[in-house]
Amino acid sequence: MERDELVALITAEVIAQLKKAGWKAPDKPVPPPFAPQEKAEKKELPPDFDIASEEVKKIPLLENPIDPTELSHMKKRTTARIGVGKCGARLNTQTMLTLRADHAKARDAVMKDVDENLLKSMNLFSVKTQCDTKDTFITRPDLGRKLSEEGVATLKEKCAKNPDVQIYAADGLSSTAINANLDKIMPVLVKGLESKGLTVGTPFFMKYGRVAAEDQVAEIVGAKVVCVLIGERPGLATSESMSAYIVYNAHVGIPESKRTVVSNIHKDGLSAVEAGAYIVEVIEKILAAKASGVDLVK
Amino acid sequence: MSKILSVGIDIGTTTTQVIFSRITIDNTASYFTVPRISVLDKEIIYQSPVFFTPLKQQVFIDGDKVRDIVAAEFQKAGFQPSQVDTGAVIITGEAARKENSKTVLDTLSDFAGDFVVSTAGPDLESVISGKGSGAYQYSIDNLCTVVNLDIGGGTTNIALFDSGKVIAKTCYDIGGRLIRLDKDGTIQYIAPSAQLIADQIGARIAVGSKGDVSTLSRITDAMADILAQSVGLKEFTPLAEGVRTRTSSKDMLRQPIERICFSGGVADCVKSTSDDLFAFGDIGILLGRSIRSNPYFAKARQIEASQTIRATVVGAGTYTMNLSGSTIYYSRGIFPLKNTPVYKLPANVEEAVFKGEGQPLMEGLEWFMSQSSSSQIILAVKGPHNPTFQTLELAAGCLVKCAEAVLPADAPLIVISEEDIAKALGIAMSNASDKKRKIASIDSVSVEDGDYLDIGSPLMDGLVVPVIVKTLLFG
Repeated sequence: MERDELVALITAEVIAQLKKAGWKAPDKPVPPPFAPQEKAEKKELPPDFDIASEEVKKIPLLENPIDPTELSHMKKRTTARIGVGKCGARLNTQTMLTLRADHAKARDAVMKDVDENLLKSMNLFSVKTQCDTKDTFITRPDLGRKLSEEGVATLKEKCAKNPDVQIYAADGLSSTAINANLDKIMPVLVKGLESKGLTVGTPFFMKYGRVAAEDQVAEIVGAKVVCVLIGERPGLATSESMSAYIVYNAHVGIPESKRTVVSNIHKDGLSAVEAGAYIVEVIEKILAAKASGVDLVK
Repeated sequence: MSKILSVGIDIGTTTTQVIFSRITIDNTASYFTVPRISVLDKEIIYQSPVFFTPLKQQVFIDGDKVRDIVAAEFQKAGFQPSQVDTGAVIITGEAARKENSKTVLDTLSDFAGDFVVSTAGPDLESVISGKGSGAYQYSIDNLCTVVNLDIGGGTTNIALFDSGKVIAKTCYDIGGRLIRLDKDGTIQYIAPSAQLIADQIGARIAVGSKGDVSTLSRITDAMADILAQSVGLKEFTPLAEGVRTRTSSKDMLRQPIERICFSGGVADCVKSTSDDLFAFGDIGILLGRSIRSNPYFAKARQIEASQTIRATVVGAGTYTMNLSGSTIYYSRGIFPLKNTPVYKLPANVEEAVFKGEGQPLMEGLEWFMSQSSSSQIILAVKGPHNPTFQTLELAAGCLVKCAEAVLPADAPLIVISEEDIAKALGIAMSNASDKKRKIASIDSVSVEDGDYLDIGSPLMDGLVVPVIVKTLLFG
């Protein structure tokens, strides 16, 4: 049965029942608050369109909205999946598939490894925590906070000792974030800090790393300030978001409240270069105040 | 949190007004992200009565009397000129074309504090009144296009906003006091644009003769019609072009307008159902009636202005100041700067700069400096989105080299960008320079070629600077 026929049938039935209950039909049909506007022309999408792309998500799936312009305004305000319509009590197939595609991207960000070529091109050597697989990394957060013996040895061997600032990158929960931002943020960080007359330690990459591993790094290299650039747990909106956790005079077991964080670094949040420039200033402030986290008076 | 005292002084064709407002700014970002300094509140703390603008022989503004009004209002409000942080004194509408408007601004300069716009032009007025009327905020809150028509005594200032962006602005010589009558209904004054419209539609009016309602209504109907044309509700005619204010922008975008808003003194007349059609001794009430009954305006969806007759002064007092982005770079002591001209890099020059080619910029800059009387300049770029630092270093190298070659040794190198890249670009420029020249890099401000900027002293622990974008009328 066609949708319109169904609607007509249900309407007729509802009116019949209402009349039985003593309701009188108005003389003239009551117009809706806004007259339904003409159907917006549907853009033809190429046959191979990506349902998870920003462009496709912008198109409302809801059929015959009362006010399509207002709906498009509402959609501009949020990345939430509004105006997607429904089929009975369920989501439309396309909405369902988009959700699953976004979820798959988020899982990929967690499960994939950081691009080796990127690390090579940036001259970063790698160390590992005590996790040897992604599964261990995810199920044993405690191991992701401790360097492997080999990792400790490598840092001792390759890293310059007692720098003002030690910067390194870790995959954390999004390798995608590191792939997208690391080469953009590192140059401005290093050059910015050096132009302030600060010594910057030998940068490296830590695989299967969680934030608190930076405390052990601080102890090994003897840095005054450690800054880890780490992938944030991805959501369904972006998987490219990176954070910087910065800590002064760290030691293993230092309270989390001593960390200063700059989050939401990605192309639609704070751009990587601008984040780098901002972090330079934050580190300068931390060194001057000899404090980080909540101790750093704003 | 910082509080800024702002003054707005509007000297219009018909009325002169003063307001004081308190602007509150604070960091609205969470502890875990970069700071984001925003305007939290704009509170009007004092507004003057609406004064008639004192004139001498129709063509001059009586500067001394205006000064007296302003001085008395400062006293009534309880403020000293030295307490004022920002704001604007603007002479608007036909008044701006009075012979002595520049002199009048000069007599007011000591009331203007250290950091005040003292000039406007029809386009800027359109934007200011559209912000003061609430049309601008409505377009942000509802993400839609709103056109504001500020219908004053001598001009109608029109601005089109789309979700908080100014997308078109223009001005027409149409207003409520283009024809003035005395108590007996004898016509005392006819402005040139009113005469032009009357001649075109074959309505006979003359100074000294009686003004009858039906003839004058025909003229105001034609005026309302021209306004409908000006916002694209009706086909544009040569007559409309004939009464467009000469110094305003011609290109009103013909884009679907979702809401329409009226401000200015005549906006009150649009709603008024007064029987006394000449209560103000002019055609304001008739013009209001004509707009109300115009079939083209009737089709548009109207919104209520939050300010009508005070829209311009409220806009001048509270909306002329912008805040820069919160991640910027500047050498110590470089601000405040006043009346600094903007050179907006043409797209091809900007593209070359971000590729590291400085020659086109060198040529453009040399030309601009030879045309400009100022030894200082602000370079404006759009800037790339999410660039690499290498790209910024290439641009920084070019910018520094061109500054060395073209700018005087003591002139600062100031770059203003639309994209959020200022702090990184600042670091790159500083690294590329010999550190002798002062450098500033500011972002999240949109400017046009030919604008002039005032940049105030840094606020909120130096995180942001206040920026006033202006177009000089008496350049």
